[in-house]
Amino acid sequence: MKKYIYIVVSLFMACTDVVDVDVPTAEPRLVIEASLDWEKGTIGQNQTIKLSTTRSFYDLESPNAVTGATVTVTRESDGEIYNFADNNNGNYTINTFDPVFNEAYTLEVIYEGESYTATETLLPTTPITKVTQSRDNGFLPDALEVNVFFKDPADETNFYLLKFKDRDDYFPYLLDVSDEFLNGNEVQLFYEKSGDDEDDEFQPGDIVDINLYNISERYYNYIRLLISQTSSDNPFAPVPVEIRGNIINNTNSDNYPYGYFRITETDFKTHVFVADN
Amino acid sequence: MSTKLSICFLLVTTLMFAQEKFTVSGSVKDFANGESVFGASVYLENTSAGAVTNAYGFYSLTAPEGTYNLVVSYLGYNTVKVEIKLNKNLNLSFELEEDTTSLDEVVITAEESEKSNIRDPQMSVALIKTSTIKQMPAVLGEVDLVKSIQLLPGVTNNGEGSNGFNVRGGATDQNLVLLDEAIIFNESHLFGFFSVFNADVVKDMKLYKGNIPSNFGGRVSSVLDIRQKDGNSKEFHLNGGIGLISSRLAAEGPMIKDKGSFIVAGRSSYAHLFLQLSGEENTAYFYDLNVKGNYEINTNNRLYVSGYFGRDVLNFSDAFHNSYGNSTFNLRWNHVFSDKLFSNASFIYGKYNYDLILDFIGLDWVSSISNFNGKYDFKFYLNNKTTIDFGASAITYTFNPGEVRPTDEDSAINPGNLDKRRAIESALYLNADHKLSDKLNLQLGLRFSMFNRMGGQAIATYANNQPVVYNETLGFYESGTKTGEIEYDKGKSIIDFSNFEPRLGLAYELNESASIKMGYSRISQYLHLLSNTANTTPLDVWTPSGPFIKPQISNQYSAGYFKEFRGGKYSLETEAYFKTVDNRIDYVDGSSLIANNHIETEILSGESRAYGLEFLLRKNKGKFTGWLAYTISKSEQKTPGGNAGGPGINYGKWYNTAYDRTHDVSLTGSYKLNDKWSFSSNFIYQTGRPVTYPNGQYEYEGISVPIYGPRNTSRLPSYHRLDLAATLNPNRKPDARWKGEWVFSIYNAYNRRNAASISFGQNLETGVNEATRTAIFGIVPSVTYNFKF
Repeated sequence: MKKYIYIVVSLFMACTDVVDVDVPTAEPRLVIEASLDWEKGTIGQNQTIKLSTTRSFYDLESPNAVTGATVTVTRESDGEIYNFADNNNGNYTINTFDPVFNEAYTLEVIYEGESYTATETLLPTTPITKVTQSRDNGFLPDALEVNVFFKDPADETNFYLLKFKDRDDYFPYLLDVSDEFLNGNEVQLFYEKSGDDEDDEFQPGDIVDINLYNISERYYNYIRLLISQTSSDNPFAPVPVEIRGNIINNTNSDNYPYGYFRITETDFKTHVFVADN
Repeated sequence: MSTKLSICFLLVTTLMFAQEKFTVSGSVKDFANGESVFGASVYLENTSAGAVTNAYGFYSLTAPEGTYNLVVSYLGYNTVKVEIKLNKNLNLSFELEEDTTSLDEVVITAEESEKSNIRDPQMSVALIKTSTIKQMPAVLGEVDLVKSIQLLPGVTNNGEGSNGFNVRGGATDQNLVLLDEAIIFNESHLFGFFSVFNADVVKDMKLYKGNIPSNFGGRVSSVLDIRQKDGNSKEFHLNGGIGLISSRLAAEGPMIKDKGSFIVAGRSSYAHLFLQLSGEENTAYFYDLNVKGNYEINTNNRLYVSGYFGRDVLNFSDAFHNSYGNSTFNLRWNHVFSDKLFSNASFIYGKYNYDLILDFIGLDWVSSISNFNGKYDFKFYLNNKTTIDFGASAITYTFNPGEVRPTDEDSAINPGNLDKRRAIESALYLNADHKLSDKLNLQLGLRFSMFNRMGGQAIATYANNQPVVYNETLGFYESGTKTGEIEYDKGKSIIDFSNFEPRLGLAYELNESASIKMGYSRISQYLHLLSNTANTTPLDVWTPSGPFIKPQISNQYSAGYFKEFRGGKYSLETEAYFKTVDNRIDYVDGSSLIANNHIETEILSGESRAYGLEFLLRKNKGKFTGWLAYTISKSEQKTPGGNAGGPGINYGKWYNTAYDRTHDVSLTGSYKLNDKWSFSSNFIYQTGRPVTYPNGQYEYEGISVPIYGPRNTSRLPSYHRLDLAATLNPNRKPDARWKGEWVFSIYNAYNRRNAASISFGQNLETGVNEATRTAIFGIVPSVTYNFKF
């Protein structure tokens, strides 16, 4: 809610500009982005895990790819091991992965003699019931927004991640949702772009890819913090802190990695904005 | 009579040994408007017998039979001297006339005449009169009391766009802000751009930064005691101001056959305020209303009624509606038991409301704090060496941390209530001012405070009694495992706390114009503002101490050297302080405080410490008056893992609080050129506030994620600003009733873009990481027309 207050305050009176400030640079750490997403309607056999190391904040190069690591995922119930192949660009891929709901999977990465592991359970995801576009539903009365609808199951606590990616943008818009005040209801969420002028808003013809993920409470806490610390200028945001994921270094616990091992089903939709008047 | 005796029976023995003495008592008022004068000196010339008027203008002093010159003096007023023959108890009341013959402008006056200030063991205090603040340049033409205290040494804030103020390295929730004794929970309008105090109705305010007298308690850093005017008891007046941003109007005058007086004042900003966006549907404004009346039943009994109501309203298209504000009501009864014993009983009600409607997600959010406060205070002028203040108070609080309602039937929001919290805070206090010798003055106080967290809610229980647990494997703090709940009845106390709070002040007069002072105070604070952001907002929720949150306890030691030179034309005040606070709440990484019924799962208990050196050099008299204030200080906190295990927050190390300021300089001055023109200016420089800058980046979900390490290791660029103002009194007939003046002011004259925050992120169009500065105000010129009728 503080975010909304700030949106209003900033619209009313604040002005922002880009400044040069010196920032410190810490020693590099391993980053493991292990997001095994099983898209509804597919068999989920193609999966990618990304390894990199951290770099200085203003570094303009692409991520420091990590090569030469051993990456495996093991299904706990039957001991089935899936080996991910090193593509020598930081990506480790597999095309024979076999996802099974409610099964626990363990990630293991061996890099520079140190072993990193995490275990997660594959969760099913609520389907997206409807995707619409409108102008009067969002924050700005005249700007286009895309609306996503889904039904939150009653009698259970749910956490969601929504990912919106305008294909013309550099990076996606992420939204974390808890059903705390929404339990059992049809949930409607929107993505509306705003900026200094109308060109920054959605235009007819823009294409947005949408993913809905059911996520664990721990991942929700992780991604909520990550979203809050990557989203734009907000003086009322909590003081930023180090974000720790669920992957541990079994060899040297002080050399902990960043990133997360998540395994979840996802519902994917694409929306193409159409002219509405 | 029996009441008096029972209350004072301990003192009777002392009285019995007194020699044949008589007492002079009465009140001191302002001749022009009948306002009682707080802090005037009343003394018998060439003796050590003297007293200072209390907040209601009452004084009492005792001396052996004889003939004396009785002197009544108050800075900025003509001194009155009368010969009295003391052979019986006398009741003498005085009306002081403002000293208009000289051009002297009082800037900050000490609470007494200069000489006795040197002797007074009370240190770390500043009294500011509204007339002084009105001389200062103010943002957007609106005179601002809270901004003016930030020009004093040891007082800072987070700059534009933040609520509250910080005293001696303390947090904003550690200030007790009182308006006519009622607790104000949010002293800011529009996120700190204005304070909620309308200068037209404020008589004076006192800021205690340390050595806080024992009649105050409940906040560990400071007390800002603001008193409203009683209203002109001589004749009816209207005054007001019309500005570009806000306007105000106040009426005051006598009532009920001159037995009483009243003042009513209103103030409002215009709805278009700050709106940069086009479209008529957006509004942001505030308004407030102050009312006060008093009635003299007879010479020994007087009733006061005062009230405040203020609101901020923000509307953004149809998507967002927000309103919040304080309301207070106070009924007081002054009773003079005898020429030596004065009493005041107060009944106070206060409420802070917050309402937020987010139409676009169908959510209506309401929260509030209400409190009833009963107080009975006594002042006993025992003899001319000793004055004793004592009393008792009890406050009941009801916290409604949040109710969620759907805005309409289509809303996806389910209604929900966070548990209401209830508490009773009560205290007994005693404070004695005693002259140990001609040179040595002592102020000795003791407060006994009690706090009961009351039932009417369930309290969760956790495995191993750990609401927060350190996850050794993953290296972070997370919520403990809830094992159940215990339901407590409304009338039952869930947990109680009590503390003895000694206060001590000592002043030693080195010579006529110099003294050294020392002070110690211990204060407990039972309420906590939950905020894990650098800038506090109106939405931040207060919570009472309870099973998982212990009261904050501060210990402050201070010492100072006070010197006047050139006959009081200049003065220098230096003070050093060291303050520790135990049980300071800190927030675990990733804590979520909004709409959280189990705050205990997000916090750990730590400590904080602050120390510093303050200098204040003032020029008190002449065409040019003003002061230079400089503070060098440090404010840190540390939070070990404790019961939750693990290293603690920020690896359990000391780290800078968000309000640590190494250097804080303010220079303020006003110059009266002639009867027509006067000018004023102030300049502020502060070390930038501690913040956490990223120390790297990585890719995740296609986003560049900034990495943050230890907390508050970087700093924002330093904050500095120059304000200018000029006041024009147009030519007019000297006896005209209508008096008008123009105030022209420039805020931030050289258009410094002071960073309210710097955030780090990725440019959506280029994908490149960048640092974005948010600056709220550039240069802001304004003009206001003030009038008095």
